[in-house]
Amino acid sequence: MTDIQGIIGFEGMGINAWMVWILPFIGASLIPAIAKAGNRARDYIAVGFALSSAVAAATLLPLGIGGEQVHSQVSWIPILKLQAGTLADPLSIVMANIVAWISFLIFIYSVGYMHGDKNLTRYWFFMLFFIGSMQLIVLSDNLLMLFFGWEGVGLASFALIGFWYHDKKKDFVGTPGHYAGGIQMWASPSHAGLKAFLMTKAGDIMMLSGMLLIFTYAGTFGFTELLQDQSWALEMAKSNLLVPAAVLIFGGAIGKSAQFPLNEWLLEAMTGPTPVSALIHAATMVKAGVFLVARIGPLFFAVAALNSSQFFEVVAWVGAITAFLLATQAMVNPEIKKVLAYSTGSQIGLMMMGLGIAGLSTSFVDGFTAGFFHLMSHAMFKASLFMGAGAVLHAVGSRFMTDMGGLRSKMKKTFIFMMMSGLSLAAAPFITSGFWSKDAILASVLESGYHYSWVLFGIAVTVSFMTAFYTFRMLGMTFFGNKSKFVQETEHHHPVHEVGSVMWIPFAILAIASIAVGLIGFAFEHQLHEMFSAYLANTFNIHAPVPGGEGIEAKSGAEFLDLQGLNPIAVSASVGAFALGAIIGGVVYMGRVINPEIVSRNIISRAVWKFFFNRWYLNTALYWVAVIGPLALYRIVWRYFESTIIDGINPGLQGTMTYFSKVIKAGQTGIAQTYLYVFAAGILIIVMLLFL
Amino acid sequence: MDFLSTPLLVTVILGSVGLAIPIIDSLKKERGSNNKLYCGISVGAILLIIGIIIFRIISGEQIPTIEFGKGMLADDMFGSFFAISLLIVSIMVTASSWNFMKNKSNPAAYYSLILISSIGMILIAYSTDLVMLFVSWELMSIPTYALAAFSKRDPISNEAAIKYFLFGALSSAILVLAIGLVYGITGTTNIGQAIISMVNLQQDLVPISLFALALFIAGFGFKMGLVPFHMWLPDAYEGAPTTIGALLAAGTKKAGFAAAIRVIILAIFVLHLEWSMTLAIIAIFTMTLGNLGALIQKSVPRILAYSSIAQAGYIMIGLALAPYNDQALAGSLFHIINHAVMKAAAFIAVAAVALTLTSYSIEKYRGLAKRMPLTAIALSISLLALAGVPPLNGFWSKLVLFSVAINTGPEVWWGPYLAIAGVLNSALSLGYYAWIMRKMYMEDSPDTSKVKEPRAIVAVLIFAMIFMVGFGIWHAPILQFATNSVPNLSQLTAILPSIPLK
Repeated sequence: MTDIQGIIGFEGMGINAWMVWILPFIGASLIPAIAKAGNRARDYIAVGFALSSAVAAATLLPLGIGGEQVHSQVSWIPILKLQAGTLADPLSIVMANIVAWISFLIFIYSVGYMHGDKNLTRYWFFMLFFIGSMQLIVLSDNLLMLFFGWEGVGLASFALIGFWYHDKKKDFVGTPGHYAGGIQMWASPSHAGLKAFLMTKAGDIMMLSGMLLIFTYAGTFGFTELLQDQSWALEMAKSNLLVPAAVLIFGGAIGKSAQFPLNEWLLEAMTGPTPVSALIHAATMVKAGVFLVARIGPLFFAVAALNSSQFFEVVAWVGAITAFLLATQAMVNPEIKKVLAYSTGSQIGLMMMGLGIAGLSTSFVDGFTAGFFHLMSHAMFKASLFMGAGAVLHAVGSRFMTDMGGLRSKMKKTFIFMMMSGLSLAAAPFITSGFWSKDAILASVLESGYHYSWVLFGIAVTVSFMTAFYTFRMLGMTFFGNKSKFVQETEHHHPVHEVGSVMWIPFAILAIASIAVGLIGFAFEHQLHEMFSAYLANTFNIHAPVPGGEGIEAKSGAEFLDLQGLNPIAVSASVGAFALGAIIGGVVYMGRVINPEIVSRNIISRAVWKFFFNRWYLNTALYWVAVIGPLALYRIVWRYFESTIIDGINPGLQGTMTYFSKVIKAGQTGIAQTYLYVFAAGILIIVMLLFL
Repeated sequence: MDFLSTPLLVTVILGSVGLAIPIIDSLKKERGSNNKLYCGISVGAILLIIGIIIFRIISGEQIPTIEFGKGMLADDMFGSFFAISLLIVSIMVTASSWNFMKNKSNPAAYYSLILISSIGMILIAYSTDLVMLFVSWELMSIPTYALAAFSKRDPISNEAAIKYFLFGALSSAILVLAIGLVYGITGTTNIGQAIISMVNLQQDLVPISLFALALFIAGFGFKMGLVPFHMWLPDAYEGAPTTIGALLAAGTKKAGFAAAIRVIILAIFVLHLEWSMTLAIIAIFTMTLGNLGALIQKSVPRILAYSSIAQAGYIMIGLALAPYNDQALAGSLFHIINHAVMKAAAFIAVAAVALTLTSYSIEKYRGLAKRMPLTAIALSISLLALAGVPPLNGFWSKLVLFSVAINTGPEVWWGPYLAIAGVLNSALSLGYYAWIMRKMYMEDSPDTSKVKEPRAIVAVLIFAMIFMVGFGIWHAPILQFATNSVPNLSQLTAILPSIPLK
């Protein structure tokens, strides 16, 4: 009977991997109690739990860099032979650290940004719950636990996007009075929360069905188990179910990462407090989808190398479409946070493109590294940009960039650091992390050998151009030119001023980090590349192609600033796209040489502008199909089915049960003689039953 | 016999503490007003015993599964499993009595009786001899008669106690008769040896052994609350002090199951497999009647009493299927420990309401969520767990039982019907569980004043909630424990060395 010890036993570093996701949950459950002790204690302890989770993640880092993996399991649901476990391998360790440390900085920022809000207990509870769920996704060793975290993230995002559920006008998102195709285009926080919840749920259901499909064939949810015994993949491939199952799981990623066609929730999600937006866009939620693809992509590639190309094609094209679609919309939006939101969706599209192209090329690791590197650099600069935008909102009091302008001199620190991370987003050549990661994606697309790689490359370059343009537009409208009327009026009451250090230091750290990584970007990418090629080779047996045939990787051995592995076409296209976008954006919005109003003078450009501004009418279509249609159907069903048939049956069933219950009640007389009689009769009946 | 064996340690420690409490009381100047002291001593003693048993299990000293030695008591995992389940109930009852017995007379006798009754319950689970089993049975029962009548000026309590005593006496008589018959047939009272001799029974003695079996079912069935031996049960559980209701429903009832598994299941396996269908029929009647009876009751303890009849029906599924499926008894044990905690928590929450609002009526539960939030949430969780709503612990044990019923195979054609009956009954039971919750959460009471929730009871309820939710999310350890504790009937020779298997 030593099994009881065995099933609770953890070994070595395994416990740290558990702690990374359990600590935030413990913190969340303690927050309501700690809140009684005082508001300050509550805030600091919440930050403390975020820090402790981050430290636990950091202790795993040496393992990850060393390419080791720690897999610890406990028996969970014995009936279904399910194990609960954490899998700390290089992929999850790096991801866990990104999530943990960026969340920690956002938590510090929150202390300043949310100061004085009455509902902070709820806020901290859900923030901790959010990162706990995200870390559960990252460190889980099986699809089922990952799905638990997945749903936890969905719940927390619902609660936090709709955090200001009193729906005050200032917390809305969108331009009031803007209709497109008969659908209202501005939304309240509670509406936005619900929208995010339901739209991601559509993806979750696809994911669940894909998971269960695989479970039916494989009998396990575990990643390592799925890899060990690959007979399930053959079985599924025989019945043509492997790619559908993979695409269904990818459906979950589409929902969570706001990819086309489930992208519309991401924009309304801006109703949440700015730290929440930063968390959703940089560390948790939307990154979960990319992580999922990074998790299952190599698995599908390994188990069905030839059969899975359709799956990766879907991933790459969904990414490409989203990247293009949302970049066009980012160029015309007047709200600072929404520009950033569109930009996130677009950048995630690029990551998906990288991960998708990985499975279509001969060298899986190139695209994989590129996609993941872009995830890392995006996490840094987007968190920084959001927090900077939050600082601007805090100071100005309006979400519209037309209400800003000329803030450069008043908010120097915010300006400098947003400029730094903005340059990273725009991919300023050679000094920003965003440049290197985007260049890696472009290069891997070019070198993939995929049939339509030129189309994808063209889309990616166009997106790069648009990215540079809208970034400069955003920075220009916010910080350059003259002060807008709105700012001048606000200054009558109180002058616009820089935010406190508790707010600017977190985004300064991230902005500097994104430039620092950029300065050593090429070497950094090589390190990442080596780490992941070792990981993919050891775990999935996916090897990079060997040009000389001697087992030496094509790109290994690159020294610091040795640019030998760079793809000249990719680099020049990337630099050109940045230059063009930056010049147009800079001239129009920073230099203010040309008035952007010229767009509306030409009928064609005005039509294009309107098409982009109305979000390609996707939101309109969504509401007609998914909201107004079902409501009409519901009325018909209610009128002709519920109220007549169901309500007719119900009383009958209830009456029957009540009748039997009354019969039994009547038998329970309370007279002991009756009871004894029944007892004796019972013995008689049992004897008879036994003799039968 | 080893003097350090678990049953003896339990007897010595709990017995000496149980007897010491009245002695301390007689030495005190102010007699009858040291509730907190006795409560603390009792809780401490029970905690010590739980610690000893858990230590023995973890250190691997205990014999796995079930044993039928030549002695009176076995020191096996089966007994320890019941000992832990029953002691959890005892500790919940004694700890909540910190509040419940406040300013009531004779606390010393109260705690002493609970401890002595607990010894009886535990010894039943360890017994390997019919005489030992009967003695333990009486040791368990007699203190509870006194406890049921503890509010001696309350006529309802007295009536309940009298009914309970009447049926207890009857069932004891029946058990003695059954044991006598077994002794007459086989010439031994040792369970293992008796069963071995039954394997080669003369054909003309079979009817007598059958009659003995029927008497065992009736005798144990009285405590287990099986239909048709259940009539006394709603009256007694409702009339007894509410904490004692918890002890009866969650504790003594489980001891009945321990005895039944020790005696009836093995007897059926050896005598005639088809007879387990009788148990299946009893199971279906028990769960259906229990649930239907609860449906229109107005008093909450009475609803819980009927619900515990229904739960006995679910546990019987495992007993009925035990000869055919190795997982069945594990499912029963799993449900037994879960039910012990759920039902004890529900009764103790009701005790908190009875203590503060002085009523059992369901009408008093209106708007309780606002007046006593912790009690209301604990009661709701235990009701949901009783109904078997995932992810609470009750869901998993029911799932094991029902899936065993479905998966047992073609030789048991009635298996799936048991599962269907169980599922339909679970749905029916939500009718009254949800009704109580609706009263607490959705309706408003005329009196909305906050009520101070008794602290010890709240602590007990929080423990129970952690148990129900925690082992709902991660039920593996308990299921593992239950699986390790049950006899593996297909390898009966390992337990009873000299049986030629059929």
